[in-house]
Amino acid sequence: MPGAGLEVAGLEVDYGSVRVLHGIDLAVEPGSFVALLGSSGCGKTTLLRAVSGFVPVSAGRVTVNGRDITAAPPDKRGMAMVFQSYALWPHMTTAQNIGYGLKLRGIARDAIKRRVEEILAMLELEGFGPRMVTQLSGGQRQRVALGRALAINPDILLLDEPLSNLDARIREDVRHEIKALQQGLGITAIHVTHDREEAMVMADRIVVMDQGRVAQHGTPEEVYNRPVSAFVAGFMGAGNTIRLSARPTEAGLAIVPGPNNTGATIAARALGPGVSPRHDGPVVAHFRSEAAELADPETVGDGTLVLSGRVEQASYPGGHYRYAVSVGDRKVIVDAAERLAVGAAVGVRLRAEALHLFPDSEQQGRLP
Amino acid sequence: MPKHEELLRAPVKESRILPLCLVAPALLTVLVLFVYPLCYSLVTAFVDKGGQPTLGNFYRAFEFYSVDIGFTVVIVTLSTFAVGVLAIAIGGYLTLGECAPAVALLRWVYRWPLFIPFVVAAQCMRTFLAKNGLMNNSLVSLGLLDPQSTVGFLDWRGIVITFVWKQLPFVALLVSGAMASLDRTTIEAARNLGAGRLRILVEIVVPQVRPTLMVGLILSFVTMMSVLSVPIMVSGESPTMITVDMAFRINNYGDYGAANALGFISYALTGAAAWIYLRRGIAGGGKP
Repeated sequence: MPGAGLEVAGLEVDYGSVRVLHGIDLAVEPGSFVALLGSSGCGKTTLLRAVSGFVPVSAGRVTVNGRDITAAPPDKRGMAMVFQSYALWPHMTTAQNIGYGLKLRGIARDAIKRRVEEILAMLELEGFGPRMVTQLSGGQRQRVALGRALAINPDILLLDEPLSNLDARIREDVRHEIKALQQGLGITAIHVTHDREEAMVMADRIVVMDQGRVAQHGTPEEVYNRPVSAFVAGFMGAGNTIRLSARPTEAGLAIVPGPNNTGATIAARALGPGVSPRHDGPVVAHFRSEAAELADPETVGDGTLVLSGRVEQASYPGGHYRYAVSVGDRKVIVDAAERLAVGAAVGVRLRAEALHLFPDSEQQGRLP
Repeated sequence: MPKHEELLRAPVKESRILPLCLVAPALLTVLVLFVYPLCYSLVTAFVDKGGQPTLGNFYRAFEFYSVDIGFTVVIVTLSTFAVGVLAIAIGGYLTLGECAPAVALLRWVYRWPLFIPFVVAAQCMRTFLAKNGLMNNSLVSLGLLDPQSTVGFLDWRGIVITFVWKQLPFVALLVSGAMASLDRTTIEAARNLGAGRLRILVEIVVPQVRPTLMVGLILSFVTMMSVLSVPIMVSGESPTMITVDMAFRINNYGDYGAANALGFISYALTGAAAWIYLRRGIAGGGKP
């Protein structure tokens, strides 16, 4: 059975006199997995809690399959939530925790027992039913919390940073388990996280949030490759920034040669949504460390942008070397296979598709 | 003069006398004013006036006051139970209540009796619960009660009401504090699955604060067992509580033996309550 569709329109939430959500619009397709991604305090958990009914909304509407649930209590929304702290009841056994929602629905004891066994088997927790939840490991508790939410067959599953308390290795396993379960059950899921990789791996669509607003909404590929703002580019890993000057040409946007960069022309089709091909003036270029290449510092004229700099710091995080390269008054991080000495003069080659350009006025604003 | 490094490396000389001197006043106070009288009264419960070992004090205590012993157990148990139920109700409303002004008002009001001594509480209740007291007069003036049918509550009911009124804020304070410190998401998780507030209180909140509730109730039980002013002032009739009998044996007969035997029985009753509690704690994984 596919999950329900969710629509949020013009949602505003205030904490006292402070507005924390500013007119959020969001549509979630039935059966899809949506990640709300953003840094701490961006409003992603508040949005999830407003959707689940735990936070009153000041304005706007929340509908599920066209039914307005804006004023409905949390238990009348057909949603089940998995909390960051798991929120398991320590005085109950694993089976009692999972079966509690069914007990509240007046389901017969035998039916509850069968359903709990089914859920335990699905989560690979067979035999753990009689155990107190306080005797379980973090990963097991997380699965019990998930099982408790799934036991009642909710239309929509809400996940509030459910993996943040797990260690890195278990987190990767549980990520895939949750995704597989969601796809297997065809349930609609909304997942709050501040972990970019987690959102990319698990979600069909990502909603990047910033200061109580949706900064960008799209597939993982769209958000990663075509960020609409400097904030999204930075949040999605393009943390290196360099100031350049651009002017429009017939072939696209030309990067004007500067004291630390060669000239280059970026075709209009290769430009992202952040800057117009007719932009004339300063721009800020964002790029990822793995998208840059090290080149001969004297390289010029092959049409790609090359920054001239000097290696300031070198490290080996595994699989490649990581260099901090000073380019003028800025420092950029570049990954490369070859080993270079600290102090070496290098060129940093940036292909058109590696660059995310934005007008420099945005640079004056907020960068992540 | 030793160098700075040498001073840093030098072992710190520990004085054993200073800590003892610091503890001594408190320790002496406890030993002289609590441990000695307690042991003395326990021992003299088993000794006659001639200093010979005897169980005669206990025979006398049970012969004259067995009804009062039972009365005391019933009154204190009933009061403890009522305090527990009402403390859960107050703590529950403070934790789960959704009407913010009502929650704020209750939070402000419920602690008042905490600062009133038992003897003042008993005097308040004498004027409040008497046949022509404040309660009945108010009900009559509101037209809710006929003046001819007023009934006084200055009997066992008055004792229970006074005990509950006086002890409720203490237990409610402990319980509401424990409820406030619970992981709020455990409540939200139950709400999310469809549990009503009463069900959340009974099935989710109370089991998690049970250790704190039990501590509060046992301390209240012990406190109520030892109160003399309330049974004397609120209910002058028989049966009465053990504390009144102890005062009577000493004041009227100088019978310290029987009074100490009654005291020993009080210790045994409160000790039994504490033992039941500790036993439950051990059975529950060693958490008191």
